[in-house]
This record gives sequence, C-alpha cells and structure tokens, in this order.
Amino acid sequence: MEAYIVTGYRSAVAKAKKGGFKNYRSDDLAVEVIKHLMSTVPDLDPKLVDDVIIGCANPEGEQGLQIGRMVSARALGKEVPGITINRYCASGLEAISIAVGKIKAGFGHVYIAGGTETMSLIPMTGYKLSPSYNAVMENINYTVSMGATAEAVARKYEITREEADAFSLGSHQKAAAAIDGGLFKDEIVPITVNNVFVKNGKRIESSHIVDTDEGVRRDTTLEGLARLRPAFKNGGVVTAGNSSQTSDGAAFTLVMSEEMVKKLNLEPVARLAACAVGGVDPLYMGIGPCVAIPKALAQAGMSLNDIEQIELNEAFATQALSVIKEAKLNPEIVNLNGGAIALGHPLGCTGAKLTIQLLNEMRRRDQRYGMVTACVGGGQGIAGIFERLN
Amino acid sequence: MTYRLQKAAVLGSGVMGSGIACHLANIGMEVLMLDIIPFDINDKDKNNPVVRNSIVNGALKNALKSKPAALYEKGFANKIRTGNFEDDFEKIAEADWIIEVVVERLDIKQQIFEKVEKYRKPGSLVTSNTSSIPIRMLVEGRSDDFKKHFCGTHFFNPPRYMRLLEVIPHEASDPGVIDFFMEFGDEVLGKQTVLCKDTPAFIANRIGVMSGVKMIELTEKYDMRIEEVDSITGPLIARPNTATYKLQDLVGIDTSDKVNQFVVETVDGDEYIDTLKGKAAPDFMKFLIDNKFFGRKSGKGFYERTRKKDDNGKTIINALNLKTLEYEPSIKPRLAAVGTARKIEVFSKRLSHLVDGGERENKFLKEYFAALFAYAANRVPEISDEIYPVDDAMRSGYMWEYGPFEYWDLLGIDKGIEIAESCGESIPDWVKALPGKGINTFYKLEDGKKKYYDLASESYKSVPSLEGFIILDAIRSKAPIVKNSECTVHDIGDGVMCVEFTSKSNAIGEGIGQGIQQAISKAEEEGWNGVVIGNNAKNFTVGANLMNVGMLAMKKEFDTLNQMVDGFQQLNMYIKTSKVPVVMATQGYVFGGGCEMSMHANSGIYAAESYIGLVEVGVGLLPGGGGTKEMAVRASDKFFEGDVKMPTLIENFRTIATGTVSTSAYEAFGHGYLLKEKDFVSANTPRNIAQAKEKVLEMADHFVAPTPRHDIEVLGRAGMAALYAAINEFRLGEYMSDYDVEIARKIAYVLCGGDLTSNQQVSEQYLLDIEREGFLSLLGNQKTQERIQYLLMNNKPLRN
Repeated sequence: MEAYIVTGYRSAVAKAKKGGFKNYRSDDLAVEVIKHLMSTVPDLDPKLVDDVIIGCANPEGEQGLQIGRMVSARALGKEVPGITINRYCASGLEAISIAVGKIKAGFGHVYIAGGTETMSLIPMTGYKLSPSYNAVMENINYTVSMGATAEAVARKYEITREEADAFSLGSHQKAAAAIDGGLFKDEIVPITVNNVFVKNGKRIESSHIVDTDEGVRRDTTLEGLARLRPAFKNGGVVTAGNSSQTSDGAAFTLVMSEEMVKKLNLEPVARLAACAVGGVDPLYMGIGPCVAIPKALAQAGMSLNDIEQIELNEAFATQALSVIKEAKLNPEIVNLNGGAIALGHPLGCTGAKLTIQLLNEMRRRDQRYGMVTACVGGGQGIAGIFERLN
Repeated sequence: MTYRLQKAAVLGSGVMGSGIACHLANIGMEVLMLDIIPFDINDKDKNNPVVRNSIVNGALKNALKSKPAALYEKGFANKIRTGNFEDDFEKIAEADWIIEVVVERLDIKQQIFEKVEKYRKPGSLVTSNTSSIPIRMLVEGRSDDFKKHFCGTHFFNPPRYMRLLEVIPHEASDPGVIDFFMEFGDEVLGKQTVLCKDTPAFIANRIGVMSGVKMIELTEKYDMRIEEVDSITGPLIARPNTATYKLQDLVGIDTSDKVNQFVVETVDGDEYIDTLKGKAAPDFMKFLIDNKFFGRKSGKGFYERTRKKDDNGKTIINALNLKTLEYEPSIKPRLAAVGTARKIEVFSKRLSHLVDGGERENKFLKEYFAALFAYAANRVPEISDEIYPVDDAMRSGYMWEYGPFEYWDLLGIDKGIEIAESCGESIPDWVKALPGKGINTFYKLEDGKKKYYDLASESYKSVPSLEGFIILDAIRSKAPIVKNSECTVHDIGDGVMCVEFTSKSNAIGEGIGQGIQQAISKAEEEGWNGVVIGNNAKNFTVGANLMNVGMLAMKKEFDTLNQMVDGFQQLNMYIKTSKVPVVMATQGYVFGGGCEMSMHANSGIYAAESYIGLVEVGVGLLPGGGGTKEMAVRASDKFFEGDVKMPTLIENFRTIATGTVSTSAYEAFGHGYLLKEKDFVSANTPRNIAQAKEKVLEMADHFVAPTPRHDIEVLGRAGMAALYAAINEFRLGEYMSDYDVEIARKIAYVLCGGDLTSNQQVSEQYLLDIEREGFLSLLGNQKTQERIQYLLMNNKPLRN
C-alpha cells in the first residue's frame, strides 16, 4: 500500500550553546513541534498514531532514557508508542523512510517521523568516547572526527580554500534571502522558551520566542572568511566559516497510508519514491551521497536529470563540493535556500528538516521530483527521492 | 596596626591600571576598576552602560589578552568588576585600598582625590601610582584622615612580572601605613618593596634616567652604533637582552623622554642633572620624537622590524644610523673586547677586565660605571638614607643583576673610586674614607645574613628587607652537610636541610640523586624534621641531564640506562615515601625530572612564577621518572562511582603528550602537575625556601609518610582505544609526525596500564616498570636520539 507524507513542521534552528534553545531540551522541543503538527490535522485522533519514530544522533544524557518513548507519551498520550533511531546525520530522513517502509509492509497506517537534537546540552562525541579496541586496531579511522574527514575529501577531490569559502558565502546569501522572503515562516513552529534565572540575587522569570533560524551571518564576506584559521589541520582548508554550524532543532512529518488518507479525506503533499543508504571509507565519509544517490535513482527507475531540486546537507563546504563534483550534480539546483553552513545542522533532526524545506520549495516552484541527501559519520550516505503530489 | 585588605578600587584602567587590577586579583583581592566615560559619547548612547563603560572594559580586555599573561590564571578575571567615574564612584566606599592610576597630571589627580575623599570609608588606605608627581602635592587640601592613610605605591610595568614596588610616604603619612605597605607589598603582592623619599622620580627612575642619558652621551662621544652599545650593555654586563636602545624602544622613547624632562626640570643641586639643564638633546633624539618614531608601539624607533626576510628566513631588523638618521640593516657588532670578556665566566673578573681594557668599548664602559658609581654614591642620603634600597630598586625595577653598589663591590671600593676619579667624577667623602678603615665592600655575608654598610652609624647592619628569607649564598660559608659536583645540602636551621642544585642549568644527574638520597636518609636516621629541595637560581631546573642520557643511548648502554632510570624512579618514590616530609621550593623552569620530583614530593611551595611541565615529548621521550605513572595515579584518584572516566584520562594524556608547560604555578593545578591538597603557591619568589622550611616544620610533628600504592585504577584497552583515536586526530591534522604518534601511543600505553582487557587496580611499581620500559624503548630509537642531539646542539626541538 502506498504511503504518503501528509504534512511536516519544524522548529527554527538555533545556534548551539548561544542561541534561543541553549538551555532548552530537545525532548521538550520535539513535544511542542509534534503537538503543533497534530493541531493542523484536527480530524486525526492522536490515538490512531501507530508509532513515533525519532531520529537522534546522540541519544544519551538529556536525550537518553528512550527519548522516542518520552516524546510520544507526552505529545500524543501514553497509548502511543515511540522509538529512537540513529543513523547520525541521516537519522531524520531515515525515520521517514522507516515509517514509509512499515506502511508499505502493512504494519501500520499512521506514523510521526522525524528527528530532534540538542547540541547545546550534549557533547559532540557523547559523554564517553570509548571506541572498541579491536575496531581501533583494525582501522583507526572508524572513529575519525568529522573535521578530519572534511580535510581528507578536500585533498582527495582537490577542493581549494577559495572554493570552499565561496560556497560558504553563497550558502549565507541564499539563506538570508530565503529568511527575508519569509520562505520558512509557515513551516516553523514558534516556540516559547521560559527562563528562570538569578539576577542581582533575585529570581527572575522571563520568556522568549524562537521562530527564526539563527545561523545566518549577513555580514559574511569572502575577505572575512579568508581570515579564519584552519580548524582541524595544520595548513588545512576547513574553517569554522566553511563548516556546518552546531545547532538545536526538531522536525517531524506525518506519514500515512493511502487508506487512512482517504478515510480522513486529507490531501497528502508527497510520497517518498525511493530511499537508499550506502557505505564508504570512514575517512572519506563526506562522499557518502555518491554511493547512495545512484542506488536511490535505480530504485526509482530514474536518472539524475529527472531530479529538479536537491537538498544536499552541507556538513562542510569541502564535502558538499566534493559530492557535487563527484556525483555530477547540477549546482544550480542544489540548496536553493542555503544549507547547513548558514542555517545549522542539528544532527538527528536535519534529514527531516531538509525534507520539509525541500517539499515546500518544490511546491513554490511547482516541481515534481526532488532529493534529500546527506553524508553520515562513520562512512555512509543517504539519498531519498520525493515525488510531490498535487 | 594591621590592615586587612579584601577589596580594592583601582582608579584608571590604562596599561598600568589594568595590570595592577589583574595583579591584585592574582593575590585574591576583589577589585573594582573605574575609568572615565568616553569624551565623544553621543546623545543616543548617553545612557547606554555598554558605551559608558567602554573605556574601562576595553582596557581590561586588552590586559586579559596581553602576553605574557597579566593573570596567574584566566579564571581570576572574575575577581575584577568594572565601572565608570560618573556612575560608580560611590562604590569605592566598599574598598579597603583605593589606588589611583590616572593620567600624570596634578590637577586631574587632585580632582580624583577630592572625589575619593567624598566616598571613601574612614580608615581605608589611599595610594597613588604616580611615577613623578611629588606625593605631598597630591594631598593638598585633603583631610587629616586622608593624609594619614595616604602614600605613593609605585608599580613597574608589567605589574605581575616586575618585582619592584616603591613605597613613598609624605610627611603626614601614618608610619603604620608605610610599614604595612612595605610588608604587604613583599609578603602578599610578592614584590621587592623599596622605601623611597618623596624626591623626583623616586629611586629607580632617578638612577635610571641618569643611566640612560649617560649611555646616549657616551654613544655620541665614542662614536658607537646603537647595535654596538646594545652588545656591551646587555647580558655582557649582567643586564637584560634589551640592553640600552632596545629598552628605549620597548618602554617608548616618548615616555622615557617625558621622565627625563621631568627630572631635569624638577631636580636641583644634582651634580649630573644640573649639567643637562638647558642642554639640547642630540639630533637623533629630536628626529625620533619629531617623527613620532617612539619604538615598538609606533613600528620603529631606534630599531625597525621590517617585513622583509633574509636568506635564512629571519626577519630583517633595521637600525637607526645616528649620523645619517637613516634606517639600515642592523649589523652584528664584533667588538674585540666583547669576544674576550664573554669567555670570562666569573662576572667580577669579567667586569674588571671590561673596564680595564684600551678599546673604545672598554673606555665607554669604564666611563659609564664611573658615572654610575659617583651618581649613586652622591644620591645617598638624598634619595635614600641607606644604600641597599638603591640596589634593590635597580635590580627589581630595571632587571639589572647587580645594583650600582653591588657592581662596585665586584671591583672593590678602592678600585671603583680610582676608576671614577680617573674619569673626572667626584666621589663623596664618606665613601672615600672607607678603604682607609679597611672596608672595601658595601656588603658582606656574615652569620647567614647579608649586611650592608650603614652611612649613619658607620657600621654594617643586616639588610632588613631580607629578614624571613633564606639566601643560600649567605650560608655558603658554613660547612655543608653534603657537597658534590651537582648539589650542596645545607643545614638551614631548626632541623631542616635544603638540597640546593648547583649543576649547569641545575640539570638533574646522578650527583643530585645522591645528594637527595643522602640528605633524606640522614634526616630519617638522625631525626631531622625534614628536607627542602630548593635553590635561589633563576630556574629551579631544566630537567634531567640530557647530555648524559643521550650519550649512553648512542653507545647502546641500555643496562646502565635501565639502572639509571630505575634509580631516578626509586629516588622519586623515596621522596614520596620517606619517613620525613620532603618539601619543594621552586621558581622559574620546573621541567621534566624537576616536575616529576615535585609530583612525588609530600608538599611544595611553588613561586607563582614557576613554569612547570613534563616536556619529555620534545626530545622523543615519555616522562620516565614516575611522571607518567603519577599522571595515571592522579587520574585514578579523580575517578568516582559512576564516572565515565575517559575525559579525565584524555586530559592527563594531553598534558603529557603535548608537553604542556604551565605559565604560572596556579595554572599547574589545572594541568594536574600540582595538587590542591598538598601544594601551595607563594607570590614572593625569594621567600619560597623559607616558606618551604616552615611547611616542613608544620608537617614534621605528626607526619605519617605515604606508602607505595596498589590501588590505582587503569582502564587498559578501553582507555588505549580512546587515546589512540585521539592521537589519530592529531596525526590527520598534521599536528603530529608519525614518530610523534609512536611516542604518544607509548604514553597512552603506560597511562592505561598496558593492554589489559578490563579496568583493574595496579600498583605504582607495576606502572613504573612499564613506564621505564616505554622510556627505554623510545630511547633506543634513532629518531629520539636525533631529537636529543639536536636539542643539545641547537637549543630548540627537532620534529622528525
């Protein structure tokens, strides 16, 4: 049975450790986004949701204790189950693909799928970095850091500092234009954050609303970017300026069977036509999409020319440029509204967030086929092809 | 009366103001620093506190960024609050000490003090950091209480590092206040306090002005290039590298010119300064000042750092040609007298040789010292009733190794008089009479004390500023308990011994090992209270004697090396577990083996200016004297039930693997070299041995020596995997070479207790054994031997 994406919403993406969600938990954030999503489909009884599938790249600490279950119970009621899944930066898209797969297998009719991540509250490598001794002795690069992989692809695919900085500038410019044009306004759930703090010895309560992506730097220039020091390698090309930002955010979609769509008389926006993952050398993890894209295209029986728009997660400018080069993507259709370098990359949330962004932009441009693709730490890639429905 | 100072207000936030604020925070005071609001504040920002405080906050920010660091530890910045003169002045009511550091203008300072009087709490101390304005003028119009609690406290730049603090009373100052600052400045601020009279420029700058102007005069007279003058007035005569003209560039030619002018204008009846009145400055001084070539801050002065590089990749430095007034590439002077003098290691002999020779550089120096001796002698009792404050001031304020009277002593009073008179200088009668009385030095060491010739009583008296110090030189005349080529063990009284290193750079070799061994076992057997390991050198130690280790490695004498390393490990364990307390007293470099020794000692008094580090990786080694083991012990001691442990392990690994050196003793706690429960910091470097002795006595009564441990938790393979992954990042980032990786993996192996398949408790000796094994295997590697050889030959590390 066909599975459809009925709708999707996201929070604004906030800068980790200094932005609007720096003290706000990602489970609370997920609950708010899902509640809002449900409010837009008033005919859907929350108890009909078969499962809540939550992508999360560091499910420990504040995101531990089965965040999937915590969120499902709080957002939809204790009767609704929840699961946490993890494929690092692909988690959000993977969640949608699992929901689609379950519906197609006949295991259920209604799924909430997406991801949530706080990078403010959980360290990038988790609280305890503890790789397997055997793994490390077999291949030291299984656990390689993302920055090192960005340098590795830059060297292998001959991406220069100038190219990377120019790409980064473009990302900021496109993102600024999109925000100024109000393009993300309808997909973002404004979140009210309540604060209690001590000022001059007194307990003060206040609140602020987060409703706009925070990462864009409107004053970025090539000269400014050129002044930044390499962040990961002596004499390297990857800087804080041409890398994705660490962020906090949540994004969820409603995935439903054809039967249920008809029953509730809903108008679905898209279907996931194909979704594939593949593995690459961990040291060159950034190139992951190059193996996932052909697989997905083959599944769908399509060629790259059929794809009208691509959201390619910008883990790093060197990585995105390597993928564009190696997979022969048309740069003109990639990241039309900027990418993670400007808008942020809340790991487990990103795949779902890009899906929502893509579908909305496809609607505005009246396009039929679009793709979300991302590289994944540890040496993987994911690509999902969406068909927009009228 | 004892004042308890807890809160300070610093008025003015310039380089000196913020430097002083930082140093007061260093010693634990809460500091309020205020400055003016910007003159050009516009209507829009009139009420914006960020703009109103922008001057003071900008200044503090600069101070916190300055290098060398103004704070002992970054976190101390939390002790400093800021504000402005208009909105926050009343907050000075909380301050126990208010120090004024605003611009050097009498009217402005007086306005400030008028305001201070309005808000200060009665009994609070008020001082000025003025370098030139007479203290008595600053208190005109002030109340009796204000005057009583007021004096000058003159710091030198940078306040954390420059040891001089001039304390200047005025007539109505309460003697109790002055005594307090002399003591507080010394014991708490860690300064050399010098009591000054309220005479222009006080002591250090008064002598400094004469010295600087004389250098310029002699440069012209002997037709010298500035590089030549700098080559004979720096380390050659026991003065800093900056010598004469580099110092001018560093201080700022405009700044020193202002001080010179001030002294010339305000001083009367000074035989040298009087000759300068109405005298035109040399053309080159006018050239520099008119063009605003003030030195480093303006990009050029006497020297100019160009952007060009020579064939060896070194930046080309230009020097001003004093005749043509053009900058030309600086030369490396090859003066005949310098070459021979440099080979004379005993400084008194070198000085004597320098002033005797017939070259123009000899004559230059002869005339300079003649003038210096005469000037200093004629200033007593004008600027100081005694001689020692003059020497103290020049040593601690100008970083000379000897003050004027101490230089004089090196030649002998008689020879100094002869030199001075042959140059036409006039020496006061009281000095000329001394040789006739059989007195040929201004100072002498007697009964473990340094004594000075007192002009008033015509007799030797103990230097009071040294009470509470243990100066090893002063007790050298007593028969040592142990003496060998590398160390001397002194009896420093009250049943305490002090092991003093005397080897080159205080490098640790077998002699030091034997000395410590003998001292401790003697202390154990004969019932001494304990042992201090400390010395008065600039640097405590550079670490183990690398030359010896390197030679043995190249000769492949690994059995000998194994014994040697085992011996050093056991020595450190003996320091830790002997029945008497062993307490360190350090300053300057505490590197490698010295750091390992400190980690094992039962306690330590570390001068704040101790630069501590396990630096072995630089020569391709791991700390092999128990340092790596001790880092494993310290990680284990930090673990707690439910702890993920890995971050602690990684932190300790990083410290060793990157050869981290602390930039102050306080920072060393953060690196894990020092431990809060046993180690202590002293702001006053020369007091550390005396304080370490006190610590021994305090511990001795109920001392229970620790025993070797068997409960050290190591993480085995799990830890190694995490550390290997971390090392891989350094390699990929090209911050480490392949050989660095090998060294780092060895360190990881030892820290984790080897490739154990689970967490386990192991003994100190087990860790020492694998540490020694790792050390020796690295030492057997050609690349390590190359690193050692390279460092010994070039005094900088090799990356291979």
